[in-house]
Amino acid sequence: MKVTIQNLTKQFATVTAVNDFSAVIESGELIALLGPSGCGKSTMLNMISGILPVTEGKIFFDEEDVTDLTPEKRGVGLVFQNYALYPHMTVLENICFPLEIKKVKKEERIARAKEMAKLVHVDMLLDRKPSQLSGGQQQRVAIARALVKQPRILLLDEPLSNLDARLRIEMREEIRRIQQETGVTTVFVTHDQEEAMSISDHIVLMKDGFLQQMARPQELYDEPANCFVADFLGTPPINKTYGVVRNGAIVLDGGCEVKTSLVKDIEEGHEVILSMRAESLIIDEEEQACLGTIDEVYVMGKEILAYVTLGNTKVRAYIPAERHFEKGQTVKIGLRNRGVFVFDKETGERLA
Amino acid sequence: MKKYLKNITLGKILVYVFLILGAIIMIFPFYWMITGAFKTSMEIIAFPPKWLPSSFKFDNFIIAFQKAPFAKYFMNSVIAMVGSVSICTFTTIVGAFAFSKLKFPGKHIIFGAMMGLMMIPFEMIVITNFRTIIDIKIYNTIWALIIPFTSSVFYMYILKGFFDSIPDSLYQAARVDGCSNWKYLWRVMVPIAKPSLVTIVLLNAIASWNSFLWPTLAIIDKDLKTLPFGLYAFVSEGGAKTELMMAASTIVVVPMIILFIFARKQIVNGVARGGLKG
Amino acid sequence: MSDVAKKQKKSHFSWGKFKNKSEWLIYLFPFAIGVIIFTLYPIVNVFMISFKEGFDYISKDFTAWGLGNYLYVLKDPYFIQALKNTFSYVFIVIPVSTCLAVVIATLLNQKIKFSGLFQTAYFLPMVTSTIAIGFAWRFMFNYKSGIINYLLSLIGVNAIDWLQNATYNFTALCVYGIWAILPFTIILLLSGLQNIDPMYYTAAKVDGAGPLRIFFRVTIPLLAPTIFLVIMVNTISCFKVFNELFPLFQGPGIANNLFTVVYYIYYQFRVLIPSRYGYASAAAVMLFLIIFVFTMFQRFVEKKLKN
Repeated sequence: MKVTIQNLTKQFATVTAVNDFSAVIESGELIALLGPSGCGKSTMLNMISGILPVTEGKIFFDEEDVTDLTPEKRGVGLVFQNYALYPHMTVLENICFPLEIKKVKKEERIARAKEMAKLVHVDMLLDRKPSQLSGGQQQRVAIARALVKQPRILLLDEPLSNLDARLRIEMREEIRRIQQETGVTTVFVTHDQEEAMSISDHIVLMKDGFLQQMARPQELYDEPANCFVADFLGTPPINKTYGVVRNGAIVLDGGCEVKTSLVKDIEEGHEVILSMRAESLIIDEEEQACLGTIDEVYVMGKEILAYVTLGNTKVRAYIPAERHFEKGQTVKIGLRNRGVFVFDKETGERLA
Repeated sequence: MKKYLKNITLGKILVYVFLILGAIIMIFPFYWMITGAFKTSMEIIAFPPKWLPSSFKFDNFIIAFQKAPFAKYFMNSVIAMVGSVSICTFTTIVGAFAFSKLKFPGKHIIFGAMMGLMMIPFEMIVITNFRTIIDIKIYNTIWALIIPFTSSVFYMYILKGFFDSIPDSLYQAARVDGCSNWKYLWRVMVPIAKPSLVTIVLLNAIASWNSFLWPTLAIIDKDLKTLPFGLYAFVSEGGAKTELMMAASTIVVVPMIILFIFARKQIVNGVARGGLKG
Repeated sequence: MSDVAKKQKKSHFSWGKFKNKSEWLIYLFPFAIGVIIFTLYPIVNVFMISFKEGFDYISKDFTAWGLGNYLYVLKDPYFIQALKNTFSYVFIVIPVSTCLAVVIATLLNQKIKFSGLFQTAYFLPMVTSTIAIGFAWRFMFNYKSGIINYLLSLIGVNAIDWLQNATYNFTALCVYGIWAILPFTIILLLSGLQNIDPMYYTAAKVDGAGPLRIFFRVTIPLLAPTIFLVIMVNTISCFKVFNELFPLFQGPGIANNLFTVVYYIYYQFRVLIPSRYGYASAAAVMLFLIIFVFTMFQRFVEKKLKN
């Protein structure tokens, strides 16, 4: 099912949690709503589910306007951050409960619940109470309960944040698998960029209630629309330097001059942010963009992470493991075409 | 080291001696009442007192039952208790749900005012309630022991506290599935709140069973009296003999003793929670 | 929008909105109706009556608004005596029961065997009828064949007429009152003790403190907030002493020497014929004021303790 969101705004007493948000979620996709805490992503999710009424704007499921519909009339499946399993019911009863409300016949609802339990791999735990399950198992049951009534859309609120690191990776792949097997349009909220990058078809990146960018994960990484997007994605975080465009180059604070073709369309004297991913800096490159000083070197196995001073800013760069550099050594630095961006210093908008 | 050990055991022994002595004082009235119920009229006035009756015959109980309709009193107590407790539990559940999960204008102000009502001594409101039951024509009927006790701010307050501790996401999960408030309340909230509800029911039942002041005001008919009132009337009007008084008192007390032995933990926890909240 | 669509939307909305917006009323109604009729209205009514002079309960007529009822009650020797008795009762029962309860609760909080049995014994009086068990005490207090006089005779004390003698019956009332209030007090203190982190005891033991020192320097200070609360709650309940008078003395003692405030209320509107509701209401309002002051004091101190 396709979801169309038009100019959605949510105003709480004094705060605007979501501001003029428009997006289209294609049918059958897995979408991550990504952003720092307090960016409005959970508010967004709650408005799609119908738990929160919208202040302005419209939501369409396919062609149907659902803006004023209550949650149960929208046909959404919702998985809560703390799973919200009913503690007094067994796993089977929990999964059956949505069908019981829909007055599905008993035999049918048990059959459907069992089928769903099999899909999420909890079919051997049907008689247990939630308190007897691990976090990951509770998560699976919560997903089964959300899916059993065959919702038009599955919504997950921070589904992995209550799990430990290893389970998190396992569960995110499970969510991907379950989503692909059922083909249900799915939206999940997360503040973890790695999680969003690894499993979603599209990422919706939000900040302060505004949509920053909606794109495929790789596209978001390679072509950030603004400085915030570039900052938010990637490990280690992107190197961020400040400078001014002069004579077809960028002069960084502290005097280091970076030659790059990216500035060709930018007017002279424009104050900019030059953001470079660590893997986009090439050390000791013939085709030199600037000079830097090796500051610190960390061996990390297959490669070396070096801290290099450009002007008065320290940046991170990867060096192949076979190369050797001394502390304090001055090196020539080249830039790749990918992973280097110029943003307006004032607005953060992408210039090149 | 040896001295240390010796101190410990001596201390322990003192603790036990003190506790046992205290326990004896606490339960002695019960012992004295129950054994007194079996004593003959000669044994009961014996001095020095006899620690045990010569035989455990139920004569005193039989006479007490003949002299006053204790079976009737017992039934009245049961009806008043079951009636008021079951209705009160229902109103408490729906009221606590409204205050805990539903939104309505002035909710917090109304709830605050309710808390103020908890301070009001019952003795203050009986003056009017006495007149009210006459006005609504239930004076001297069994309803007079039920209707005024169909809602309780105190129990609602306790249950609301528990309802508040149930995460809202459960409520939202059910609402998203199309679950009505009514169904959510009875299928999810009430089963989860069972321990609290049991406590509330127990405390309420004990209070109802033992109530004395209100029945003496609301009831005149002999056939409508509850146990404590019936017992008091039996003793004060008939000038009953001590051994009959003890037998009749035993009839009133034994059901609560049995209840307490089986549900001690819930009762004690309930009292602790209710009391600590003030 | 077509007319049909308009209509549909309208009807859909009005019903849905009503159901959603007014549902709370349905839930609140059964609870509220009882509270309004049997708690809220009586309070307002009692306040009103207390200011109506010459109030007739049947016709609901009265001669004038004013403080006449209060002036009468405050001058009534029975009420003055009731106040005196009630305050004396509070000042005897509260300290004695609290001290006993602190000691017993502390001992019960130790690791002891048969703690279930001990708890049953100590808590049992709480669930039993004041009237029924009061009769047992009446039997025990009996002048000629009572067990208490027998035990006293063993240590050479002459028989005391606990119930029929105005010098001693107040003592009997207090003894019974202390016994009856102990279970509740112990339960609250015990639950307060169980909330104390055992690491404090361990720390004190490591520092070489003996049991008595631990009791006075660790337990008591940490338990102080609970002790305070217990004193307040019990004070309020002791101000309402009333039921106990019936099984022990069948009323307010010898020559009415054991009037209490609640008995005074009862006396004015139930014992006297015709009933004097104005005086009863004025006395009830004064009882409320006493309790109100104590409650406010308790809240004030609790807030101070929290900060």
